Amino acid sequence: MGKTKTDLLRGTLDLLILKALSLEPLHGVGVSRRVAQITQGAFQVSFGSLFPSLHRMEEKGWVEAEWRASENNRRAKFYRLTASGRAQFKVEERDWNRVVRIMTAAVESA
Amino acid sequence: MPSRIASLFRNLLGKNTVERALDAELQSSVELLTEEKMKDGLSPSAARREALMELGGVEQVKEEVRDVRLGRRLESLARDLRFAFRTLAKSPGLAAIVVVTLALGIGANTAIFGIVNGVLLRALPVRAPEQIMVLAAEQKGAAMQAYTVSYLDLVDYRKQLSAFSDLLAYRIDLVGLSAGGRADEIVASCVTGNYFSALGLQPVIGRLFLPGEGEKPGEAGMMVLGYSYWQKRFGGDPGVVGRPVLVDGKPVTIVGVGPKGFGGVHPVLEMDVYLTLNRAFGFGPAPNGFGFYRGVRLLEAMGRLNPGVSAAQAQSSFDVVTARLAEQYPGDDKGVTVHVVPEKRARPLPMMANIIPLIAGSFLALAGLVLLLACMNVANILLVRATARQGEMGIRAALGAGRGRLVAQVLTESALLALMGGAAGVVLGLWANNLLGAMFERGISNVPLRLDWGLDWKVFFYALGIAVFAGAIVGALPALRASRANGNAMLRESGRSDSPGASRHRLRSGLVVAQLAGSLVLLISAGLFARSLWRVQQMYLGFDPDGVLNVTLDPHGIGYDEPRTRSFYRELEARVRALPGVRSTALAFYIPMGNFQEQRTVYLEGRPLAKGQLPPMMMLSRVDPPYFETMRVPLRRGRGFAETDNATAPKVAIVNEKMAKQLWPNEDPLGKRLSIFGPSGPFTEVVGVAQDGKYSLAALQEPVPFFYLPYAQDYSSMMTLQIRSAIPPESLIATVRRAIHGLAPDLPIYDVRTMKQSLAGMNGFFVFRMGAVLAAAMGLIGLTLAVVGVYGVASFSAEQRTHEMGIRMALGAERSDILRLVLRQGAVLIAAGVLCGMAASWALTRATATLFVGVSATDPFTYASVTLLLAAIALWACYLPARRAMRLDPMAALRYE
Repeated sequence: MGKTKTDLLRGTLDLLILKALSLEPLHGVGVSRRVAQITQGAFQVSFGSLFPSLHRMEEKGWVEAEWRASENNRRAKFYRLTASGRAQFKVEERDWNRVVRIMTAAVESA
Repeated sequence: MPSRIASLFRNLLGKNTVERALDAELQSSVELLTEEKMKDGLSPSAARREALMELGGVEQVKEEVRDVRLGRRLESLARDLRFAFRTLAKSPGLAAIVVVTLALGIGANTAIFGIVNGVLLRALPVRAPEQIMVLAAEQKGAAMQAYTVSYLDLVDYRKQLSAFSDLLAYRIDLVGLSAGGRADEIVASCVTGNYFSALGLQPVIGRLFLPGEGEKPGEAGMMVLGYSYWQKRFGGDPGVVGRPVLVDGKPVTIVGVGPKGFGGVHPVLEMDVYLTLNRAFGFGPAPNGFGFYRGVRLLEAMGRLNPGVSAAQAQSSFDVVTARLAEQYPGDDKGVTVHVVPEKRARPLPMMANIIPLIAGSFLALAGLVLLLACMNVANILLVRATARQGEMGIRAALGAGRGRLVAQVLTESALLALMGGAAGVVLGLWANNLLGAMFERGISNVPLRLDWGLDWKVFFYALGIAVFAGAIVGALPALRASRANGNAMLRESGRSDSPGASRHRLRSGLVVAQLAGSLVLLISAGLFARSLWRVQQMYLGFDPDGVLNVTLDPHGIGYDEPRTRSFYRELEARVRALPGVRSTALAFYIPMGNFQEQRTVYLEGRPLAKGQLPPMMMLSRVDPPYFETMRVPLRRGRGFAETDNATAPKVAIVNEKMAKQLWPNEDPLGKRLSIFGPSGPFTEVVGVAQDGKYSLAALQEPVPFFYLPYAQDYSSMMTLQIRSAIPPESLIATVRRAIHGLAPDLPIYDVRTMKQSLAGMNGFFVFRMGAVLAAAMGLIGLTLAVVGVYGVASFSAEQRTHEMGIRMALGAERSDILRLVLRQGAVLIAAGVLCGMAASWALTRATATLFVGVSATDPFTYASVTLLLAAIALWACYLPARRAMRLDPMAALRYE
């Protein structure tokens, strides 16, 4: 059962990345900052986890990458959700909400 | 070049691109972070340091990303494999057909390549085998080239040539070995002292010969045991070293055992033992052996090139030396040239070096054709299946599967099938080679052969290579289809199947035409080989081979001198003639297509040679008086030999028609005199002319000069007793053996075979039979594949047109009309295939015309009969589905789908 925890954490990270990207295409640093922003600084994603996750999603076809100019006119690799990425985001969002509902109910039931 | 290949590979695997993109991405991330920190007021260097710290080590991040990428690739491969296994397991019948078909194709290739590899490609197990050259000597004017050298010439070559670090020579002999109270006939190489050191070999125990050892008269005889014979005969006993044994009755000491895996330098014969060269000289104390005549060439020679010397350089220095010797010894060495041939290219005999690659190439090509036919069948099957799976592919494409993923999955499936077919094919091929090997051994009787036709790395990689190739071919079309996977179009098309893509149908018809053509090429080749074999078997040989038993003996081996040998043979003939079932007997030195032959220089009386002209060398046999009657050799003129032609009577000879015509054109040969000793005689009178015969494979097409001497006037200790029997000759073997051992209990019997077996053997028609068997096997496989292909397409198209048939019948078409309709379609395909096949055969078989004897490469009989056979069987394969279509109930046909 040791696996569940890491799976959950990775699942959480994936969901956060998908959420961040669902708003607009971002580069790696941008994803990190956006995740920090939408979690009010509660999650500081390390780049050592962020980049592998992004590449894994790219392999799975959830995100597409494209080189373009950043806000300060630097070239950066921007990630954007694909159709299947969007579908995946919906699935993970629904699953997460279910888990939260069930866990909340379970924890609060006396 | 290697670095370019490596980079190609990296690009293929996409590693380079991935790495570079990853570098750039991390680089840009560092810059973005640095900029951010600078905005917060840090100095550029501090900002960069902070940025790198936040990133957490560029290399670690890269490593993690790499793992993700690689893991994904492996994961998808594993998934494809799992999926392929599942799909195949769902239709095991189809998978089995595909695997068996591919196994036939790959098996044929493995078998043929195994033989080619074993005979032609495998290196000698010696140090630096590429430096070993065969020295094939030729003498202008000799009737038959033995490609051998004399000992005295060898000594001069050694002294005068600097291109070679060593020149060695050997002579293969059958000898009788008596050790520990047991006598065996074994195969020995009598070798020069430097034989082992020149080859760079080390003994397992004891020692090997030393350079120069055993090359002087009067030296003690020595023997080195071959490793496998040591194991077989002496059970690997290390105590044999130093043990005295008898070789043909002469004392010899075993000095050591040769290395494991070494069986001599002959490409086919496996040596039991090695003897010092003086065995070939008769171990005599005086110079009485053939080693001391420059003109007697009986040694096979080889040389080891010095490092950095090419075969061409060695050849030109050899030419200088042979020219010098020809000047120095015009009587013996005039017209001698020595060809320096790399050992591998001199197999199995230097003189066959030209034809062997042609044979090997032809059979590899035939096997390749079989594989191609198999691939076409499988491609056809997979195409049909791909059509059936279009829906699945369409759905997967619609769900977002990339083209690459779909192609990868289809290719994984065909690769899996090809590898399973390859594994089965290797097993099949090795099994076939075992079978052929057994046939080979039986064909050549008592001589141990080295037939390593089995698996080694080369064969393994060859089989793997063609399996991968086959997988790529059979996977290419379905993969192409998958790469065009377009959700919309596919889903739409697979809904209605009565109007299949016309292009796809044309493709399948094209495959069938190609299959029929290829299979016709195979069948015509097989037909030509078979007819060749039949022709040589029907050929009149100049004697009657039926009901003859041959027994070869050599009483010299057990120490008999000439008078004792002669009286032994006389007594033996008398005893054998008295056996029940024996009609008559004769003694002869030479057996047509036999193991031993002899030629002599022939001088004519009253016709002195012009300066520089060489006397001709001609094949001969020595026979006793009953020979011509026993072997039923017709005499055209004069008389046969009589008992009165004895040692004291005037010398006589009988020549064949060809020799009479060649030596005395337009003259009466009877009464003419010739000498086999020298221009001044003593002379031998021609008393008869015998009909031309087929004496050897080389004489199969054109007659060669041949003459006979009476045994009473020309002696050799080794003779063959030829027994004409009224009962099956095999049944005489036991009683003849008893008769021999009743007279001479220790005498080894070199060879007991019927004349028929001898003719079918290695020196006889074996090559033809081998060719016919191999070609027939491939022809049959080809025919089966083509018929399966035709049947598959015919029934598929009959099934697809069921609806149309129903309409036609409902509108009043007769069943026979339907039958004609389906058959006509098949007949068009068959006609096209057969025409292409005939054209291809006509073009291809003419290149190999030299392989066929007694039959032209465009033999109309073979072409016609084989074509008819194929057409008939193919038409039958069309007829079966047509008959099914004909029996349809029109209403059922209309309701179909």
